[in-house]
Amino acid sequence: MMLRPCPREKEVKELVERGHWPVAAETAPELRAHVNDCRSCGELVLVTAAFQKARIEAAGTAKLGSPGVLWWRAQLRRRNEAVERIGRPILGAQIFALAVNLLLAVVFVVWRARHGFAWLSWLEQLPQNATLHLDSQWFDTLWPFALFGSGWNSLLTPMVLIPAAATLALLGGVVVYLASEKQ
Amino acid sequence: MSWESVIPNVFARDAHLDASRAAVRPMDDEAFAGFYERSARSLWAYLARTSGDPALAEDLMQESYVRFLCATLREEGEVAARRYLFRIATNLLRDHWRRPRTTPIEDVPESFFARCGDAAQAESQMMLGPALAQMRPRDRQLLWLAHAEGYSHNEIAEVMGLGSASIRLLLFRARRKIARLLGEEQRGRAL
Repeated sequence: MMLRPCPREKEVKELVERGHWPVAAETAPELRAHVNDCRSCGELVLVTAAFQKARIEAAGTAKLGSPGVLWWRAQLRRRNEAVERIGRPILGAQIFALAVNLLLAVVFVVWRARHGFAWLSWLEQLPQNATLHLDSQWFDTLWPFALFGSGWNSLLTPMVLIPAAATLALLGGVVVYLASEKQ
Repeated sequence: MSWESVIPNVFARDAHLDASRAAVRPMDDEAFAGFYERSARSLWAYLARTSGDPALAEDLMQESYVRFLCATLREEGEVAARRYLFRIATNLLRDHWRRPRTTPIEDVPESFFARCGDAAQAESQMMLGPALAQMRPRDRQLLWLAHAEGYSHNEIAEVMGLGSASIRLLLFRARRKIARLLGEEQRGRAL
C-alpha cells in the first residue's frame, strides 16, 4: 500500500477546512481538475467536507448544561480525593501500630508459656483478695507482670517495657506515614 | 530543636503541589466558563457522532470536564487544554466500549430514542451516519479528530495515546474506507 501523500493535499485540505471549497474550485479550474484526477485529493475533499458539515450540524444541536455545576462537581471531587489521600497514610499507621502491638502480645504469651502458666494464679487469688489494700502486695496481685518476681523491682520491667513498645509502635506509624508521604 | 527538624517533610507534599501549581495555574470558575463555552459544542459533537448516542455523549462530556478540572495540566494555553480535554473524552469513550453492555432495552428512556430520531433527521447524519456506523470505533475517532477537528498527526497521536507513525497508516486506511462508503452512499441516493 502506497502511503506517499499528494503534494497538493495540504492546500486542498486547508481550503476545505476553511469552507472555501467548492467556491475556490470555481476560481481555480486547474485545482478542480487536479482533485478530479487525484484519488487522494478527491477522497480528502469528500471526507473532510462530510465531517465539517457533520461537525457544524452536531454542534448546533448540542444542549449544554451549566459550567457552574460542573465546576462545583469538580471541586467536590477534588476535596473528596484530598480527604482520601490524607486518610490513607493514617490508616496505614494505625494498622502498623496494631500489628506491632499484636506481635508484642504474641511474643509475651509465648515467652510466658515457656515459663509455665503459674503467673495466672493471680486470677485464682483475686476473690480471696476482696478487701484490697494499698500496699505492695496489692500491686503484686493485680499486676500480672509483677509475677516476674516479687516486689517493686519486678514491677519496673513491665512498666518500662509497655511504654517502650507503645512508643515503638507510635514511631513506626510515623515512619510509615512519612514513607508513604514521600511516595 | 524544633519538631519540624525531628519529623521533616510532613508538609513536603503541599510544597510540591504549590510548585506544580506555579508552573501551570489552574482555571478559576470564570476562565472555565469561557473555556466551556468555546469547547463544549465541539466536544459534544465529537462524542455524539463517534458514539452514535447523544445521551451517552452528554454524560461523557460532563465527566470529561470534571476530570479535566481535577487534573493538573502540564502545558499552558487553550490549545493544549482543549487537546487534553479531547484526550480525556477519548479515553472515556474507549472505556465505555470496552465495558460489556448490560442495559436491557426496557431500561432505556424514551427520550433517548426521540433524540436519536432528531439527530437522524440532519442531512449530514443521513449521509455520514451509516458510513460511520460501519467503521471501527477507533477509526471513527481518528477520522473525526483529523477531518472535523483538523488535528495534525502528532496531535491525534497525543489525544489517542498512539504513535504518530501508526496514526498516518491508520488514518490512511480509515479515510480510504469511509470515502468508499460515502461514495456508495452518494451513488445510492443519486439513483
